[in-house]
Amino acid sequence: MWASRARYVLGRLIHGLPIIMAIVVVNFFLIRLAPGDAAQVMAGESGAASPEYMAQIRAQFGLDQPLYVQFLQYMKNILVFDMGYSFRHARGVAELIFDRLGATALLMAASMLISVGVGILLGAIAAVRDRTWTANLIVTFAIVTYATPLFWVGLMLIIAFSIHLPWFPTSGISVVGAADTGLRHVLDVAHHLVLPALTLSFFYMALYTRLMRSSMLETLRMDFINTARAKGLANGKIVYRHALRNAILPVLTMAGVQVSSMLGGSVIVESVFGWPGLGLLAFEALFSRDLNLLLGIFFLSSILVVITNAIVDVVYTIVDPRIELRRKRHVKP
Amino acid sequence: MKSFKRLRQLACAMSVMFVASMAAAAPQSGGTVVITTSPEPALITNALSSAPTTAELATKIFDGLLEYDMNLQPKPSLAESWTVSPDGKKITFKLREGVKWHDGKPFSSADVQFSLLKVVKDYHPRGQGNLGPVTSIDTPDAKTAVLNLAYPYPPLMMGLSSLEAPIVPKHLYEGTDFRNNPAVNQPVGTGPFKFVRWEKGNFIELARNENYWRPGRPYLDRLIFRFIADGATRAAAVERGEIDVATFGTINPVEMRRLEKLPNITIAKGGYEAIAPVMMLELNVKRPPLDDKRVRQAIAYAIDRNFVVKNVWYGFGKPAVGPISSFVKASGAFTDQGVTRFDVKDRLEIANRLLDEAGLKRGANGMRTKIVHDVSPFGEDYRRMGEYIKQALARVGIDVELRSRDYPTFVRQVHNEYDFNMTSTWSIGMADPTLGVQRQTWSKMINPKVPFGNVSQYSNPEVDQRWVAAQTETDRAKRNQLFHELQRLLVDDSPIIWLMEMDLVAVQNKRVNDLITSPLGLRGGLYDTWVSR
Repeated sequence: MWASRARYVLGRLIHGLPIIMAIVVVNFFLIRLAPGDAAQVMAGESGAASPEYMAQIRAQFGLDQPLYVQFLQYMKNILVFDMGYSFRHARGVAELIFDRLGATALLMAASMLISVGVGILLGAIAAVRDRTWTANLIVTFAIVTYATPLFWVGLMLIIAFSIHLPWFPTSGISVVGAADTGLRHVLDVAHHLVLPALTLSFFYMALYTRLMRSSMLETLRMDFINTARAKGLANGKIVYRHALRNAILPVLTMAGVQVSSMLGGSVIVESVFGWPGLGLLAFEALFSRDLNLLLGIFFLSSILVVITNAIVDVVYTIVDPRIELRRKRHVKP
Repeated sequence: MKSFKRLRQLACAMSVMFVASMAAAAPQSGGTVVITTSPEPALITNALSSAPTTAELATKIFDGLLEYDMNLQPKPSLAESWTVSPDGKKITFKLREGVKWHDGKPFSSADVQFSLLKVVKDYHPRGQGNLGPVTSIDTPDAKTAVLNLAYPYPPLMMGLSSLEAPIVPKHLYEGTDFRNNPAVNQPVGTGPFKFVRWEKGNFIELARNENYWRPGRPYLDRLIFRFIADGATRAAAVERGEIDVATFGTINPVEMRRLEKLPNITIAKGGYEAIAPVMMLELNVKRPPLDDKRVRQAIAYAIDRNFVVKNVWYGFGKPAVGPISSFVKASGAFTDQGVTRFDVKDRLEIANRLLDEAGLKRGANGMRTKIVHDVSPFGEDYRRMGEYIKQALARVGIDVELRSRDYPTFVRQVHNEYDFNMTSTWSIGMADPTLGVQRQTWSKMINPKVPFGNVSQYSNPEVDQRWVAAQTETDRAKRNQLFHELQRLLVDDSPIIWLMEMDLVAVQNKRVNDLITSPLGLRGGLYDTWVSR
């Protein structure tokens, strides 16, 4: 079983390669449509520049080369996973990205856990207690959180839980300059993680609650549930053993999408909470026309999407054993 | 009754003395100050970039040959003393003994020669302006550096601070590709603080340089620069005491006024005298209707500078007289004598009359003409200023369309294609007008390849001749006379509307003392700064 799953994932990844390459090519040309280049941004930030300075920056960044030369050079490098150099940061793109990947992954994992966990729970409760005040409360809560802008939620949490009730720090990933190690460091990071992870989880939590509720309502009306009831199974058992596992599939699909949007989705939360993650890096790279860095982040997120999709497929088979993995297309018997 | 008054005066005097003695309490060593600035710099060696946040960091790590006192007079730093030859073409600097780089290597005149000629002159965006006439530097011994100039250049002595001409270690830079040198982001200097680490997207940590050449300095153990992308969060972090100092522009003016009222927070004034920043509207004088001086003057009359200062910038500044800021008063370059004033009582009537004379008649909708105002992408305050300008100009019949672009698009369109009517910006005048103000209106600075020059494309032989003369004029009085004439000529012609002299104040926690001790403010070395504990 596991061997076939691994084979499946590998196959999907190989199929993903041309897609990733196509994404790289399209991105390469697409982001060059944006007006202005890195040399102009740097000169602008300096508030002054001389012609010598501008020419020198362009020559060094390779911006004076014809576009096709820049393109061939980039493709040659990317094929060996060399994502190039960010001249603006004077560091390798890979180094810049991997420096920040940990913080983003931590934030995403925490908010995934909260949103999927709480979302499924609330959705299931709302379905089981349909048309009671509990259900109405949950549905209202879901609509409100779904419609509230993230940055506002973030700021309100800061005002409530950092300033009026000084429980949590306003921003950052740890106390700056504190050279804590081991458990103390872990606790420090966890303390800083609470507000941003909560903020980020609100939107998806609302989404999962709604998905779960409707999917659950549908499942509860199915024949096999009636059969289970007829068998005389206890209500709790019906809900948790039979209905829940069947109803959970749409949530899993959405969770896969959430992971894929991991790099882009957290720009707002990262900027409000000063969280040193990748979203902000991408955002800054865009506004400074740091194209190598931007392409590197795009490249990585396209890989992430391909991998996540493969993994979600495998998870389906674990949750619902009736689903089979096939590497080949369906052929007529 | 009289004696009671006396008593009250005495009590007042005593309380003043008490407060003064508190303020003059002996500085304590130790402690950490956390500063927030924005955006996070791309690199932290300001020999290669003059981006504001790069400068804020690097000036703690590097020294210049000179520093400046609050009256903008040079004072010793890496150079202990200096002499200028009678013809002004040779400047001899005696360097300080026993100065060591943070890596332990000795500092010498070779570092000065290398830094100024090979690095700063070519790589610092203002390097050509500051050091252009320097042709060679002789190093007769390890502690002497002689600058040879092609012609006398008085502004040179104003451009040798660690902000404008930082001295970098030759032994780490020589023979390398400077911009890709690892030392750029792990800088080694001679300054009061040493680089410790940089957690990208988070903070940069600097630590006390135990071997700093100023005995007993710096007071602080550590200096931390934190980067938070969101302004509201920065304000919350200051309020909560997580951040001690917020540089200008990191917190919006209305929030600064709110924070100021908190018991533990105050506004640090001063420290921008040598930067002399002025907020302005640049007009495209090549494009009708702004090619007509009367229309430009009408715009200048129509805008109420006091309103802008009070309501857009919440009082952090004062109305500008002209291109040369009153911040440089000490040098004598500033004047308001004989300068056209636009804040007169009947300014709206004058504006309307000028526009009538220019042949711009009001149409059916009451508007005479339409112009596009490209709002500076430096922050939302500029958009609010744009909204005010739109209303103010509508009153005299000029219809203004506001246009906001992201930074690179803005730079390309306005500065590289000159495709604009009017744009807002702020510009640093520097301690000497030749170093900063000149590039706004000197015709030689019209160059679409180089942003932030003379973007108005203003070209006036009378103005050019005076800028050029001021570059080499060694007589102080004559040179100031030239600047006064420039101030009058330029304000009258109004290719740019100089709106406000900006106060680049910082917000600070009261536990931080002596934050501003140099005319460069937070761009100074902060070696005198200490915290109460």
